[in-house]
Amino acid sequence: MSSASDEFDRTLHRASDGSAPLHRAVSDDDESTRGASHPIGCGRFAREALEVLAVSRFDRDVVADERLEAHVVVCADCANALQELERELGEADAFLGEFKTVANVSATTSQRVPVASGDDGPIRGYQLGTEIHRGGQGAVFHAEQIATRRPCAVKMLLGGKFASDKQRLRFEREVEVVAKMRHPSIVTLYESGIATTGEPWFAMEFIAGERLDEFVRAKCSSARLLGALFKSVAEAVAYAHRRGVIHRDLKPGNILVDREGTPRILDFGLARLDDASRHGDIDGGTTAAGEFLGTFAYAAPEQLSGDPSLVDSRCDLYALGVVLFECLVGQKPFSGAKSIAELVTQKTMSSPPRPRSLVSSVDPDLEVIALRLLAADPARRYDTADALVEDLARFLDGRPILAREDSVAYVVRKTLRRHWIPASFAALLVMTVFMSAIALFVAYRNAERERERSERTLASFQKALGSANPETGSGSSSMGIEDFLGLVEQQVTAELGDEPYQLAGVLRTLGLIHLGFDDAERAKSAIEEAHRVQEDGWERGEVSAAQFAETEFALARLLFNLRDFVGAEACYRRALALREAALGPDDVDTVETLRQLASALRAQNRLEDAQAVLDDAWLRSAKFPDTQAARVIRVGLLHGRATLSAARNDAASATVQYEEALAALLQMVPADDWRIGRTRYNLARMQLRTGALEAALENATAAERILREKKGADATMTREAASLCETVRKISVDGDG
Amino acid sequence: MDLDRTTTALLTALFDPKNAAAWEMFDRRYRPILVGFARNCGLKDNDAAEIAQETIVRFVEEYREGKYDRTRGRLGAWLVTIARYRMLDQKRRKGVQRIERGESAMIDLDDERSVTAAYEAERRQAVLREALDELRTRSKTDPKTVKAFEMLVYHGMTTQQVATELGMSAHDVYLAKSRIAAKLRDIVQRLENEYEESPGDWESTGRRPSAGLEA
Repeated sequence: MSSASDEFDRTLHRASDGSAPLHRAVSDDDESTRGASHPIGCGRFAREALEVLAVSRFDRDVVADERLEAHVVVCADCANALQELERELGEADAFLGEFKTVANVSATTSQRVPVASGDDGPIRGYQLGTEIHRGGQGAVFHAEQIATRRPCAVKMLLGGKFASDKQRLRFEREVEVVAKMRHPSIVTLYESGIATTGEPWFAMEFIAGERLDEFVRAKCSSARLLGALFKSVAEAVAYAHRRGVIHRDLKPGNILVDREGTPRILDFGLARLDDASRHGDIDGGTTAAGEFLGTFAYAAPEQLSGDPSLVDSRCDLYALGVVLFECLVGQKPFSGAKSIAELVTQKTMSSPPRPRSLVSSVDPDLEVIALRLLAADPARRYDTADALVEDLARFLDGRPILAREDSVAYVVRKTLRRHWIPASFAALLVMTVFMSAIALFVAYRNAERERERSERTLASFQKALGSANPETGSGSSSMGIEDFLGLVEQQVTAELGDEPYQLAGVLRTLGLIHLGFDDAERAKSAIEEAHRVQEDGWERGEVSAAQFAETEFALARLLFNLRDFVGAEACYRRALALREAALGPDDVDTVETLRQLASALRAQNRLEDAQAVLDDAWLRSAKFPDTQAARVIRVGLLHGRATLSAARNDAASATVQYEEALAALLQMVPADDWRIGRTRYNLARMQLRTGALEAALENATAAERILREKKGADATMTREAASLCETVRKISVDGDG
Repeated sequence: MDLDRTTTALLTALFDPKNAAAWEMFDRRYRPILVGFARNCGLKDNDAAEIAQETIVRFVEEYREGKYDRTRGRLGAWLVTIARYRMLDQKRRKGVQRIERGESAMIDLDDERSVTAAYEAERRQAVLREALDELRTRSKTDPKTVKAFEMLVYHGMTTQQVATELGMSAHDVYLAKSRIAAKLRDIVQRLENEYEESPGDWESTGRRPSAGLEA
């Protein structure tokens, strides 16, 4: 057997005093010590002493014999021998260095460990350990930063091995940016470099933790805990975004939860680098479809669009949406896709399923947040990660989240941008009526939430409406409003699909808006549907009397508009009874019901009954508080009285009463308000009858102008005003002639 | 069996369709190289594995059909040629649906120098891996010597650190190092001959650039 190892063992156990002639003969077959038995140099010093001196030239910690150090300066033989030893040593180092790229494991596992080598050893300053993870783009190793003894992880980007200088430079620059980030939930990057073997590497903090999804599955039992966890993640993402760093590859595997329960995001800002090496895989291949889908499930639709200019920080929000969705229901939003192409189509063309339709126990607020994040259109996600943080904070504090009504507000905003709803009246109407709808449907929630939500909704609506600019407006009024209402209806139907009474409330409101724009057909289907649902709910005791009265009232107005005055009267009477019981006899809404009832009676030509009802209403209105709403109703009553006089053919009284109503109205609303237009139209009709042609023409012309602007040229009232103008002009001309 | 001694013997044995051992040996030796090569070219693991599979099958077919002419190039060069076509083909097949993102790190398959360098890097890895395996399992080298080698090479420790750690003198570590280096050099040299793909061979066929990695 070889004596080499035996000899080496003896070497190990022999004390070295550094002066004795230490070199011993070894077996001839041991080539590593070939010629070792022969002295080298001038022979004055032992071979071993020269060898140690050579080693000391590579490792300053090795102490060589000082006498020999002095000797080689003057002895040419020993100097040459030393030079030869140094060369051999250098060669051996270089040769052995090649093995740094070969796995430090038995070849049976045949796992290649691409440890970087440099002239000075492996990755300078780091001691590499076992491989933790290996993916398509790189491998991650346990490591220790030698100087600090702190554990860390070193990632090697394998694909970058043959990268161009430009790519390498970019890699280093990006790492520089990322390394400056300091956040408790972002894994700190220590440093980076390019190994001489070609692989770019970077060293980062080592996290002993679990993947986010695994952590959530095992340890995150409540929606609150999940919300808190996500808030930390969102905060980290927001922090990076504020510094212009986008992750681009957020997924559960890149978010680890450490022992303290703090989420830590890996590879921030490095996805682009990874992309470069993973590039060849971005296709619809079937071989590794499962793997591709795994990665692509987290990519935002715009990332898959092929147009990099569409990608901004909101792609991270989409990815967080997928992660949240997955944590909520245990599957990805588009888990049914079988190919990339299918996945892209689904992501772009369809909405993800509602988490609660998959797992009924999912928290409704977290569901809304997830769906908001998963919007295919980046503009429909949160604007920023900060906004997501804010909403998660609201959720954790038990405050209402913004995601829900913001999506409705978005529709309003978007519509108003596309089609200016021509007159500020229309916008006002939409806002007023819509606000009442919002206020109603949130009445199902607790009072605190309701008030805040309404306030915020009001604010966002006002903002949306304020952003509309009449200067740039064009197109017909009906086009804008129809488009708008259609979108709103779609939106609320989608959002309130599982809350029928709230949906009914909104439908009723939409119906009234349709009615306000003379679209009786659409109004009918919406209001009748709302009435059907709410009547059912009222009988079951699930809808309050005030709620149902609102719908009865809306139905009455619809029937009145459809000229079914008998039906309208019946509905008004039911609404009146409900409101008297729920709100009291002197409530503004109760009195308003009386006023409308009078209109229905007048329309049936039951003028005495109408007068009695109107008188009753006027008496009750004396007890009104001094509010804007109360003043509006009183003006309405004045107007009603005038209309009744007109119905009795008492044009003189009607003219005076309309003038009173107009004066009161002008104190409350701008001179170009549509109600001013309507009143001036009615006044003009009476003035025409009394022969005050000049005043009639002035009022009719003004009414036509106002109504055209506020109601649109096609509105019944506008056409009537226009026709009145024509009549008055004709009579004036005839009279002159 | 002496199949694993030389590629020539292996190639001869491959002519026999029933020689499963030859196929196994060839596969065991070249598949990891081809997978690593394809990965070096920028492919992901699954695609790389697919390329390796296709390349080996195609090579054996062509070899049995007598298409492989040793005088026109080394075995490695032949494999690279096949694998390169397979990769171009795969790229074409998948390229239709390919969605561009950022810069590609896929090496230019038309650049022979880069492709050859990518293969050569992987082949050398295979040789080194096998050499290391042989050193550990068959050379009867003292475990403590191997330990010293590992500390020096894998843990980046200095001679003095290893000496302190293992209770040796610096000279002992030096001896261990030169011993291991000499042994590995012998093994690697022998394996290079077996793989018939020493750098010199590439130069003689004009296929290996003098500095492929700088391509």
